Amino acid sequence: MENVLRCLLLFTGTFLTLQVSAILVAQEGAIVVSQEETKPTAEQIQFFEAKIRPVLIEHCYRCHSTESGTVRGGLGVDHREALFSGGASGPAVIPGNLEESILWNAINYVDYEMPPNRKLSPSILADFKTWIEMGAPDPRVNEGVVVHSKVTPEIIEEGKKHWSFQPPKKVHAEAGNFSDWAQTEIDRHVASTWAESGVSPAQDADPSDLIRRLFDDLIGLPPTIAERNQFLIAYEKNPEEAIAKQVDELLGRPQFGERWGRHWLDVARYAESTGQEVDMAFPQAWRYRDFVIDSFQNDKPYDLFIKQQIAGDLIKVDSDQEWAENLVATGFLAIGTKALMEQNPRQFQADVIDEQIDVTTRVILGLSVSCARCHDHKFDPIAQEDYYAMAGIFSSTETCFGGNRTQRIRQPSRLIQLPINDHSEKLTVLATSDRNKLKEELKALEELYEEARRERRTNSNQARNLINVGLLDQLIGQTRGILNSYDEQGKPYSLCMGVQDRPSPRDAKLLVRGEINQPAQEIDRGVVRVLANQPVPISESNSGRLELANWLASRDNPLTARVMVNRIWMHLLGKAIVRETDNFGVSGPKPTHPELLDYLAVEFMDNDWRVKHIVRLIATSRVYRLSSKFDSMQMDLDPENVHIARGNSRKLNAESMRDAILSVSGQIDLKRPERSPIAKMGEVPIGANGPAVLPPGTLTALIGKGNDFSALQKFSSGLRGNAQALQATSYVRSVYLPIARNSLPRSLDVFDFAEPSLVVGERETSNTPDQALYMLNNAFVLEQSDALARKILKQASNRRGQATAAFHQILGREPTESERKATESFFRNADKLSADKLSAGKNKEQSNFQALSQLCQALMCSAEFRIIN
Amino acid sequence: MFPTSFLSRREVLQTASAGFGYLAFSGLSTLWGQDTTATETAVANPLAPKKPHHGAKAKRVIFLCMQGGPSHVDTFDYRPQLKKDEGKKSGGRGSLLASPWQFQQSGKSGLWISELFPELQKQADQLCLIRSMHCDQPVHARAMTQMHTGTAQFVRPSLGAWTLYGLGTENSSMPGFIALNPPAASSQLYGSSFLPAVYSGTKIDRSRGRFAGAARGESNASLPDIKNPKWSPKQQRNQIDLIQKLNREKLDRDVYQPEVEGVIESYELAFRMQSVVPELMDLSGESEKTLSLYGIDQNATNEFGRQCLMARRFVEAGVRFVEITHGNWDHHFRLSSQLPEKCQEIDKPIAGLLQDLKQRGLLEETLVVWGGEFGRTPYAQNGDGRDHNNKGYTTWMAGGGVKGGFSYGSTDEHGANAVEDKCHIHDWHATILSLLGLDHEQLTYRYAGRNFRLTDVHGNVIDKIKT
Repeated sequence: MENVLRCLLLFTGTFLTLQVSAILVAQEGAIVVSQEETKPTAEQIQFFEAKIRPVLIEHCYRCHSTESGTVRGGLGVDHREALFSGGASGPAVIPGNLEESILWNAINYVDYEMPPNRKLSPSILADFKTWIEMGAPDPRVNEGVVVHSKVTPEIIEEGKKHWSFQPPKKVHAEAGNFSDWAQTEIDRHVASTWAESGVSPAQDADPSDLIRRLFDDLIGLPPTIAERNQFLIAYEKNPEEAIAKQVDELLGRPQFGERWGRHWLDVARYAESTGQEVDMAFPQAWRYRDFVIDSFQNDKPYDLFIKQQIAGDLIKVDSDQEWAENLVATGFLAIGTKALMEQNPRQFQADVIDEQIDVTTRVILGLSVSCARCHDHKFDPIAQEDYYAMAGIFSSTETCFGGNRTQRIRQPSRLIQLPINDHSEKLTVLATSDRNKLKEELKALEELYEEARRERRTNSNQARNLINVGLLDQLIGQTRGILNSYDEQGKPYSLCMGVQDRPSPRDAKLLVRGEINQPAQEIDRGVVRVLANQPVPISESNSGRLELANWLASRDNPLTARVMVNRIWMHLLGKAIVRETDNFGVSGPKPTHPELLDYLAVEFMDNDWRVKHIVRLIATSRVYRLSSKFDSMQMDLDPENVHIARGNSRKLNAESMRDAILSVSGQIDLKRPERSPIAKMGEVPIGANGPAVLPPGTLTALIGKGNDFSALQKFSSGLRGNAQALQATSYVRSVYLPIARNSLPRSLDVFDFAEPSLVVGERETSNTPDQALYMLNNAFVLEQSDALARKILKQASNRRGQATAAFHQILGREPTESERKATESFFRNADKLSADKLSAGKNKEQSNFQALSQLCQALMCSAEFRIIN
Repeated sequence: MFPTSFLSRREVLQTASAGFGYLAFSGLSTLWGQDTTATETAVANPLAPKKPHHGAKAKRVIFLCMQGGPSHVDTFDYRPQLKKDEGKKSGGRGSLLASPWQFQQSGKSGLWISELFPELQKQADQLCLIRSMHCDQPVHARAMTQMHTGTAQFVRPSLGAWTLYGLGTENSSMPGFIALNPPAASSQLYGSSFLPAVYSGTKIDRSRGRFAGAARGESNASLPDIKNPKWSPKQQRNQIDLIQKLNREKLDRDVYQPEVEGVIESYELAFRMQSVVPELMDLSGESEKTLSLYGIDQNATNEFGRQCLMARRFVEAGVRFVEITHGNWDHHFRLSSQLPEKCQEIDKPIAGLLQDLKQRGLLEETLVVWGGEFGRTPYAQNGDGRDHNNKGYTTWMAGGGVKGGFSYGSTDEHGANAVEDKCHIHDWHATILSLLGLDHEQLTYRYAGRNFRLTDVHGNVIDKIKT
């Protein structure tokens, strides 16, 4: 029922009632290419046969057909797929879209001159117009190509024996000699391998190390001095109780969602721009970010979390609020990189689908199915058919990521309107006067653009022309985008990125070598067969995403729970049980502790798929508490610490590093900021040439009267460079910094931030001179050192006291005797050097402050600040 | 001994703190048993120089990237038939446009080079033209991406990153891969994608105050955070001494801690870089003669000449891969007036670079690569312009084990399509790697469950251009 209604809405675009109002807002300038390959009617075929085919044969086949052996410009016009996928310059025909159909332009002698010897008669041109506008029906389909996979049903059946394709089973573990040491089931599982390998457990970590571990692992912030002392006192009394209490307390904090949500954003390749060549902003992506954070914070069952992201739009709901959340969740499928400059919409769609299959299977199943786009999977029993079974599901799905068509943004899409208005009251409406100004500006810009294009032929200054045409084009896109984001009353739409089912779903054709113009047989939509005990039936009337989502998130799926608990384990212990977190396939490494992995997976599912339950289990285990202190004998026995008889020391990641600096300086702002700086930019390219956001009316003032763009030219440097704004100093938690794929915040980028164009299960950890340069010289670090120095000056008047305070604030401990000496020597030299620099007696107070700030900075630069034992 | 099967190459890189903490780590290698191989020690510091797969002359690369698609039929691809067929219709795509410029046979080799490059003509015997290039992408940005990473479909590591991954670098006080003046928002062109971040290119932007810097004859180009805005070098050294004292204390406490070792190294390196990088970028110590060799004394060639000279200073210092981008080669209009300007801007600087490398004995070990993302059509567009052409174009190489005064492959009679000894961009990548001693099929990195290559499943090395 609900789906029927939704489809209706898709067609009519009418705003019926709020209850069923997830309509799509068609943005002005966005051309939606129908991928629906509806069967042509008899009349249409007759039209083609009578009016179109003879002309093609007579005038085009000689140079553009397989038969003739010449396919000039890579373009064949002798069958439908060839015509639609086109040649070197892109698709020759885009059904229903005259303007974009190169064939139409060519026969009209625009861009190309076809046929070269003589232009076709006006009546033939009119026939082509009719034909393209009716959707270019063409019966000349490539029949009969069938690709036979080498992955037979027998091979698939055999393949099911692979360890990770078997359902996980809980087995009780015996700790043997270490049963006194072991306190939890996790401990017993880990300890069970020790006897054989000869290792024995390290001491429990110092409570002062343990508290840093707990804080960073659970909330990504360092403990304050008070929090730390409180824990140390409690630990003294009863370690187990202190830890359990601390873990529960941290799990309840909002910062837990921010820390663990970010782990998910790494694998979900979260970003707020398309990346690749254009890097167009996704002004609505932040909603998905907040959805993820809230989900972890609220301990949403992981199975529901998965379902929302794959098929939120199709799940039955009780309220608009819930519906809105589900729609936002499907942003998971929409936020991937987009090659917006791709000319061929079919190629573009194929790449979007590929990206969706890749992210879905690797993130949720820990399996790389997209290898099978061009051929059967090399290692796993995954056939090309399996890929195209999933491709059918996603090609029956429309991906909504936004954009307004410009020269560079060739593949824009729509956005989804939410059933609720979730803008805060603070958000300003667009006043009618401003709206009119913008409309005027848009008109003026469009005229200027045409003029600039004409003048390009005659003006001799090429660079200047490029700036003008390119810039004007972007400004037009930006202005359209702003106008489109408000309703007629000037109220902003609540829009989100995500997916919707297409009106009539359809199976995908297998593509030979993955090439879009080489279709073979149709493949029934479905799921990866080696993972399914029974085929998953997919309804005729839906895309099949809901069925896919239910299957992914079911207990019967052998991988989903295992993959997630493996990720959780890695984030807490430093190393995963299956070392390649996104590769549970045949070519991947075997688990170091298969029974532990299964225990956690079953425990996860038995407890309503609650992430916090697993985090609690691990964080309160004795294994988690193991000291990372070096022991040469243990190191000899197990250099890689595969047996987890000691802790792994770890480094603060990019976010933890920045948040820790802000925490000790006292400047951190723990409130969630509204939206994102990128939300304000509009759907424009981000970068040194990206248009800056200007108040309505500014352009009119710049343009002046008449079509004179010299004024615009004069101000063009002020109109560009929107990426710079994204580097602005901010005190919010790092998870809320704007993530434009090609313009990452330096504070994160420098410390191995997850490359947002890729699924990143495990981050790199590097030590680079660039990091050292950042810590030594960056204005942000210097500013935070100053802030801390100011704080300390208020607490302690003499240098000894100041140094102690700095050690406490930053490293959470007293300086050792030799550190004290080093600090004194540092101060002496600093005084001498500043005396050299300053004229004697001048501003002693200032130079004391500077030295203290330098000390604070030095402590933040120290390895101890960045490494957790 | 512990089975090392759990230990992937990726893990080795990570546990070795992917950086400079290899001193302690290599000491540890005795713990790995007797079969510790050279490769295992080498990967401990991922930037340490590595042995190539096979012997090769070229040790480093200067890649001169001409953004916009320079017209090959007006520069390096002499097509006499184009002149004869001037004005004829070409496959419905407009009329053939003969090159308005004369070609001359140059050097002992007699390579045909356009009069637009009078200085490069004199270097003809160093050049190895590849006149049968083709790639898959007809639009700029995507073709640029393919030229740099092999594919425009996905975000993948760049040629420079693969090179650095394969060979490491020779100067630990300098980044191993430098991108000079890259186009705006193009980080993926010099990025490392799934390769560890240490292999990504370091961007050095063109001076921001273009006029201010040029007027004083200085270069404002710089690395981020290379200079401290507050402390003098002495004050900073005092601070670093304290940092290192704290770090060494921690190292003593922890006994074995490669991470700390890595941090210590990184601060020392950063401190050295602060003086080395600006020194290398400071051209004031170069003689008048050298400056003039690169055309730094003339307006038209000043900017690119500086970048070429800087590139020489970088490779001389041991930087593995230097890329310089020179823009605005997209001549849809006014070819006859614009192309000569562009050619003039690079002619003297590149000729100077080749001579300078040669006289310093660096050319043999330095592979100089010149090319755009594609070429241009032999037929006219807008009367005095040419359209994009990814089906046939020319790039060239010099030095580093390629035949000088040599021309490889050919386009058709008009220069429209590569027809003879075709060189796809994958072949081009395979060949560049091969000239550096790297086998493009062996240079792999495991990601997402499989081994990735720069050339994916393609690429043939063009052995004919090797000496």
